[in-house]
Amino acid sequence: MKFDLDAVFVEHGCAGYPLATRILRALPRDVPVTHVADARESTRPASGARDPFGAGKRRMVIARRKTPFLAPCPAGSSEFACCGYLVLTLASNCPMDCSYCFLQEFLADNPAFQVYANFTDSFDELDRLIGNARGRSFRVGTGDLADSLAFDSLTSMSRDLIDFFASRENLTLELKTKTGEIENLLAMDPRGRVLVSWTLSPDAVYRSSEHLTAPPAARIAAARAVLDAGYRVAFHLDPLIAYPGAERDYILLIDELLDTIAPKEISFISMGGLRMTPRLRGAARSRFPGDPMLCGEDVLASDGRLRTFTPLRLNLYRTLADRFRKVGAEIPAYLCMEAASVHESVFGAAPSRPAIIGNRLARD
Amino acid sequence: MNADEIDTQIRTLAAERRLPPSHLARWLAMDPASRAAMLDIARVIRLRTGQLMTALETLEEIAVRERVTVAGVLDRPEIRRIAGGPGSAPSRASALLEALRTLRYPLLRKMQEQIRSEVAALKLPREISIALPNELGSDELTVSLRVRSAAELTRLIEALDRSRPGLARIIEMLAGKQ
Repeated sequence: MKFDLDAVFVEHGCAGYPLATRILRALPRDVPVTHVADARESTRPASGARDPFGAGKRRMVIARRKTPFLAPCPAGSSEFACCGYLVLTLASNCPMDCSYCFLQEFLADNPAFQVYANFTDSFDELDRLIGNARGRSFRVGTGDLADSLAFDSLTSMSRDLIDFFASRENLTLELKTKTGEIENLLAMDPRGRVLVSWTLSPDAVYRSSEHLTAPPAARIAAARAVLDAGYRVAFHLDPLIAYPGAERDYILLIDELLDTIAPKEISFISMGGLRMTPRLRGAARSRFPGDPMLCGEDVLASDGRLRTFTPLRLNLYRTLADRFRKVGAEIPAYLCMEAASVHESVFGAAPSRPAIIGNRLARD
Repeated sequence: MNADEIDTQIRTLAAERRLPPSHLARWLAMDPASRAAMLDIARVIRLRTGQLMTALETLEEIAVRERVTVAGVLDRPEIRRIAGGPGSAPSRASALLEALRTLRYPLLRKMQEQIRSEVAALKLPREISIALPNELGSDELTVSLRVRSAAELTRLIEALDRSRPGLARIIEMLAGKQ
């Protein structure tokens, strides 16, 4: 285990699940384990803590999920050109601590790191999904409310997931991470059905904002390793932060990436400018008052989020898209949480419908 | 004045202005020189509550962006000119906030100036108005015509047509292409 935990809470009825057994067996001896009848109270912010959200990250709660695991990406909206991504929520919160992370707002009222003991119940939901949509392919990710691999050395959830997805032709699993936690992956055969994606940022953003994550070079090296082990790889330049010098730094990052991984080996690239609701920005600024990445030239956009003012943001997208284009290979790319008009302005073509993009990204 | 006296005066001013506790805490968390410089300008310009809050927030963010102190920002010539210049306290307060906003959003301000000067150079009839998106928060340009007759409409459309290259350039600028 590479991230510290202060305590673990196990909800009544969960101790017998294989996931709970694995976690409790692998847990360092000095981490106290408490069994509770109802885990909800354990997920709440710790009263009296100077940084309740940060404290929540170090408290693991093993509970049963009582609501569906599978859902459309919550960022999806009719005002954006979306990618048809489906989200599988197997855990919530993240032991890393990026200053810009939306979870600071989204999980403010229940910041404990929750992991769902009954996560294999999600496989029935997935089988129903493909059973009801024959001929379609779906990209399903576990990296929305949690990093897909951060605690994998403790949970080994990736092994169950890879086993399941490897035998489903119409499903692609996306494991999204900022870590180098790939040991379990290297021991499995994904049979082409698993895509591992890394969020990539220049060193300046990593050092200023992405606390406890793996350095960008280590992420790229991990991508190379899983690619060689039979996985597909993708990269998210998201959030793109338009700080002074950003254009040069992102281009260097892209060059570093393409020096290690050939364009044709990359399944897709996504880009998304930093966007924060005013409430998230307030929470982030309060937790990370010295981070200049949170003080960009952001203005209130029509969707109620603070975004880098439009010409600067679109210019950065276009510069990076051109860089990828210049390497000669067409890497599928999309913009996250941007309008179709922005997509068209950056890529020179209107985006396809979400279902079509989702289908393509799942198969390519 | 020593640091304790400055803090006492900050608390007194904050109480007079009913400054929210969170903003008072941020002020008191600054380095001593910045605390004092902020007190000085708040008094000289007689910043009202909202202005004081905006100034504190903007100054903090400029300091973080540029890795300087708030005192260092307040000591810049353009700020000192406003603080020590002529004019009423309210007009100087507005000028101060505008100057701080320019420091906080340098590229945005520059871009806005460039686009406004492109719009002015079109020399469109006054019945045609060009509205830029608020704070360049989108790439949408609004063009409005005010007409009372078909002949007037024809005249304005012809004027717009003559300005087509300039308008296209402005739209490209809004999309970050120039």
